[in-house]
Amino acid sequence: MKKKILVIDDDLNVRDYLAAVFKDNGYEVCVAREAEQGLAQARAEHPDLITLDIEMPGDWGPRFYRKLTQEKALKNIPVIVISGLAGHQYALVKAVASISKPFDREELLSIVKDALMN
Amino acid sequence: MAKQVLLIDTDDAHARALQMYIRRQQYEVFIATSNEQITVYLDNQTWDIIIAHTGTTSDTGPILLKFKETHPLVQIIIMAPKDELDAAMVRFKINAVQYLQVPVNSTALDLALEMAGQQASLLTRVDRYAARLEDLHLERNTFNQLFEEVPCYISVQDKNLRITASNRRFKKDFGSLIGGFCYEVYKHRTSPCRQCPVVATFKDGRSHTTEEIVTSKHGKQYNVLTQTAPIRNYEGQIAQVIEMSTNITQIRQLQDHLVSLGLMLGSMSHGVKGMLTALDGGIYQLEAGLDQNDHKRVVMATGQVKGMADKIKKMVLEILYYAKSRQLNYETKDTEELARNVVKPISALTLKHNIIFSVSIAQNLGPVEVDSQWMEAALVNFLENAVDACLFDRKTQTHRVGFSVEKFDDQGICFTITDNGIGMDAETKNKMFTLFFTSKGSQGTGLGLFIAHRVIKYHGGRVAVESEVGSGSRFIIHIPFKKPKNGSIIDGRQKGGH
Repeated sequence: MKKKILVIDDDLNVRDYLAAVFKDNGYEVCVAREAEQGLAQARAEHPDLITLDIEMPGDWGPRFYRKLTQEKALKNIPVIVISGLAGHQYALVKAVASISKPFDREELLSIVKDALMN
Repeated sequence: MAKQVLLIDTDDAHARALQMYIRRQQYEVFIATSNEQITVYLDNQTWDIIIAHTGTTSDTGPILLKFKETHPLVQIIIMAPKDELDAAMVRFKINAVQYLQVPVNSTALDLALEMAGQQASLLTRVDRYAARLEDLHLERNTFNQLFEEVPCYISVQDKNLRITASNRRFKKDFGSLIGGFCYEVYKHRTSPCRQCPVVATFKDGRSHTTEEIVTSKHGKQYNVLTQTAPIRNYEGQIAQVIEMSTNITQIRQLQDHLVSLGLMLGSMSHGVKGMLTALDGGIYQLEAGLDQNDHKRVVMATGQVKGMADKIKKMVLEILYYAKSRQLNYETKDTEELARNVVKPISALTLKHNIIFSVSIAQNLGPVEVDSQWMEAALVNFLENAVDACLFDRKTQTHRVGFSVEKFDDQGICFTITDNGIGMDAETKNKMFTLFFTSKGSQGTGLGLFIAHRVIKYHGGRVAVESEVGSGSRFIIHIPFKKPKNGSIIDGRQKGGH
């Protein structure tokens, strides 16, 4: 069965890019453009992994993560931060990985694969 | 030290008798009995008093008068027989301090010597004072030059903060009004400043330093570093305070620019990273589309790459606008044409995002003096901002952006831009024109509205904003028909804000 990834990013182009990369590599993808929508998607879709932007209008990445981990059914979903913000690796220390924009596709896919295996 | 006396007398016996008598009065006495001796003594020694017995030799007079001319401090006492005294007086006039009749009365000689001694001391003192006075005058000139030419503003103020003296640089930039109040001259205020360093120095006698913004007589504002010091009178009381202000405007401007450059780098790098990622995405989609022979995907990816290229181009242009001062190229432009040029790109944008765009341009607006490239870019920026506000709002079903153009009071043009988008809270409203402020997350650079606002301001215009969270915003932009007197330079490097 295909693994499902939820992509949360306020930039439509980045969202589309991530979705295309994941789909082309055999994953199922759902997307959200900000935290509130992301939380709703997580509840509805129960993804196996979430990629999360840090700076977005509305709630920013760390606040989304806090809300996510407050829900029993969602708190164990691994989260990978993908951000262009300086120091993003310190913004969410519990993330399984923190990747800088612009990212290396192969490296991202390898991290995603590892995270899903664990 | 004993006073030196030269006794000129060809009568050797008479001279020796006098020498003996005068030596007893604690003088050092030398005798010259011939013209050769006189010349040798006068050429080689300094004398306090010369006692000359005239009539004994006819050449003494001219030699003595010449010597007196070059040595004005020497005191001459003339001795002469009774029938020659008048002739001696005519010859020496006031060059001699006393005339004594020969044979000399000892009391008269004592008095003459004392008088000559006193006169010599008096003249020496006067001479010394004159020399000191000259030194003082020179020093005064030096200090005056220092006061006038020192490269900072100097003013001296009394307890009422009235200026009692100022230097050349101060007069040049703030006028030469002596007696004016410091706060009037420096700050164009009607009352003293709250924390005045001069007042503080009058209170505690210490030097105080502050940084102030002062306004010159031409209305120019300068950042100055001000230092004060007390000036005390003979009783040690503080009579006046000297205030020295160094103009640090250029340093401050440089500092602001460096700070904003730092901010720009930080702000830009985030935006640039987002754009590069999106560009990567476009290229990936394009490659994948070509690999899979998926025409639809290729078309979509091409659009995405094109969109990103436009975005990067816009951002680079904004950075360039910000980084460099530019001359505004004013031209007389038909207002309607200007408005239509602005409407064109926004019509395409609103159509793409399903936003209703209503345009209302009044008739007979007439021409307006603007730099059309800048003005159009600024108005497009305000409209794009309205579109973004709609895109960020997910609560309203149907989004609208409005653009109306009309005259205001026959003085200029009023552009009104409305949207029913996300709206702004008070903080966003206050900061919206501040450099690098953005409420759009990674989508904004914080340069667009800052530059747009500057463009309106440099055209002598103003921007009013009404906004409410969840209801939308209204931007009312006024620009005059004619270009303003000082509005020729856009300096993007100046600090942001309203």
